[in-house]
Amino acid sequence: MRSLACASAVLLLAACSKSEPPPVVAVAAAPTPPAKSGAAVAAAPGTERPAAPAAAPVQTPAPAPAPRLPEAAPAKTAASDAPKVDLAALLKQGEKIYADTCATCHMADGNGVPFMQPGIDKSAWISNPDPQYLLSLILRGAEVVGAAADAYDNKMAPQDALSDEQVAAVATYVRHRFAAEPIAKPVTPAEVAIARARPGLPK
Amino acid sequence: MTGPPLASPAFLATLAAIMPKPHLLLSATLLLVSAAFAALPKPDADNGGLILPIGFHALVVADHLKPLRNLAVADNGDLYIKTRQDGIYALRDADGDGRAEVVKEFGSGGGTGIALHNGWLYESTNDAVYRYKLTPGELVPTGEPERIVRDLPDEKQHNAKAFAFGADGQLYVEVGSPSNAFGGKRDRALGAKGEDPTEFLQTHGGYWRFDPDKPDQTQATGFHVSTGHRHSTSIALNPTNGRLFICIHGRDQLNTVAPQFYTALDNSQNPAEVMHLLRDGANFGWPYTYVDAQTKERKLNPEFGGDGKKVDDSGKFDAPLVVFPAHYSPMQLAFYTGTQFPEKFRGGAFLAFQGSWNRAPLPQAGYQVVYIPFDEKGMPKGSFETFADNFAGYTDLASPGDALHRPNGVAVGPDGSLYITDSSRGRVWRIIYTGEK
Repeated sequence: MRSLACASAVLLLAACSKSEPPPVVAVAAAPTPPAKSGAAVAAAPGTERPAAPAAAPVQTPAPAPAPRLPEAAPAKTAASDAPKVDLAALLKQGEKIYADTCATCHMADGNGVPFMQPGIDKSAWISNPDPQYLLSLILRGAEVVGAAADAYDNKMAPQDALSDEQVAAVATYVRHRFAAEPIAKPVTPAEVAIARARPGLPK
Repeated sequence: MTGPPLASPAFLATLAAIMPKPHLLLSATLLLVSAAFAALPKPDADNGGLILPIGFHALVVADHLKPLRNLAVADNGDLYIKTRQDGIYALRDADGDGRAEVVKEFGSGGGTGIALHNGWLYESTNDAVYRYKLTPGELVPTGEPERIVRDLPDEKQHNAKAFAFGADGQLYVEVGSPSNAFGGKRDRALGAKGEDPTEFLQTHGGYWRFDPDKPDQTQATGFHVSTGHRHSTSIALNPTNGRLFICIHGRDQLNTVAPQFYTALDNSQNPAEVMHLLRDGANFGWPYTYVDAQTKERKLNPEFGGDGKKVDDSGKFDAPLVVFPAHYSPMQLAFYTGTQFPEKFRGGAFLAFQGSWNRAPLPQAGYQVVYIPFDEKGMPKGSFETFADNFAGYTDLASPGDALHRPNGVAVGPDGSLYITDSSRGRVWRIIYTGEK
């Protein structure tokens, strides 16, 4: 377990060092996003029961959006990250996967279903420049969200039947569409592989 | 306050002075009381946003309350409504205009079920059933609640505890299945494989019978009435034949779990929501099977070897009595015991559907209250018709969060009016009939 985590960390660093410094800083600068995102998802930090999503239907106020690096937010073609990514094609593929796999519960508009499944629009999990938290959530399901998941009736199952390429495409799509500010930087299959090998959230 | 103002002691004293003979006084009082009930309130010009059959009208009794679940109506017209997450609302129309001037909230713990029985107000949280002693004329009970059933399974998903009283006077309580189709860790996800539910079903997916007067019973001491359902939030006693009827929420996400057998469009129209007779020993087939909404056949779930075509031939499971469209989400069920509505509504039942979330690519649907006709023997005829519609406010609804209202509770008042509650924005409607009988 520990060696796996170490290996992942090494892999992560290796993956990051292949590109440029910012992502490494991003990892360091986002120490506990799950707690923050949890609050955003539950919309009622500190209370067991969620605030009535009916009146304010899961419009995740995102009280503390994940720290964002100046470089990470605006459009930035990831020429350095992966060889020749066709962002438009990737988004199209991601849109299809979102419609087939995710929209069932989170709805086409990303607003979820009151009391049953959380909205994901502007979710801190998605808005975090470091995709590893989002990737863990996709691959492991609600177990990585912790107690905040109790605000909703249904628990997200691990979506690990999707391939690294599919997860990368759908992660890219939701970061582009549902992040508090669109994140254009594509998520790579290599990043998905890192998340898949790691038992839980990044340490 | 014991009733409508016309029956006030001062007014009765005046009557007594005018009318010397006691029997005349009695009949005059009865006349006045029935006259007070007969005087229906003025409906809202827009019927509270609802679309109703000809001759029916609606008015908003209360609005912008918390998300509401089931309700019960007392003999004097007072309403008791469960909130999903907090206490119980007690509503009283003090001046007969149909609006609740008095809105109190008492208790805590949220939940779903509520019913009046032998002078007690019974209510369920997500893991227990309680009762409050009601004092005639007093809106809010003053004593502490007495816990009748405790420590029921509460695992978040499908944890609402619907209940009703049988013709035997016993208390029938539902325990749902925190699951879609018992697909293990990947329940609801691609390729979910069913696991052996035998042990799980000992404590989930059924109805249990309890003594309504005995405190602190547990599931283990209750009688296990029925098994093999996913979740049921509809149970009501048909006074015509003294039988209990239930509705069951069908599974979700056939296409997510098994896209090789089901398209999204297939899933949007399957499986059916169903109505069954609740009888001792009944098995309703979950998680092994579902009911096809088009063919009405019982088919194998893909988690248990189904392929969209394989029909269950085990003969172990009850056949549904009414088949409803997929994903409509049946909530409170109420038999029509009044006489205000036209003849065709006598003896049948009203059912509130909360509306779907799992019907894409079709628009979400079923945000409505339907009428289910029953025959003279008290059995459903197998059909249903939309009674109150337009709760969502849109016909091309993509997402339940956009619905204006979602019907949840439905109950019949002492004058035959029908009351409906809203689990979204906390509205309460009263439906009245003013047309030709």
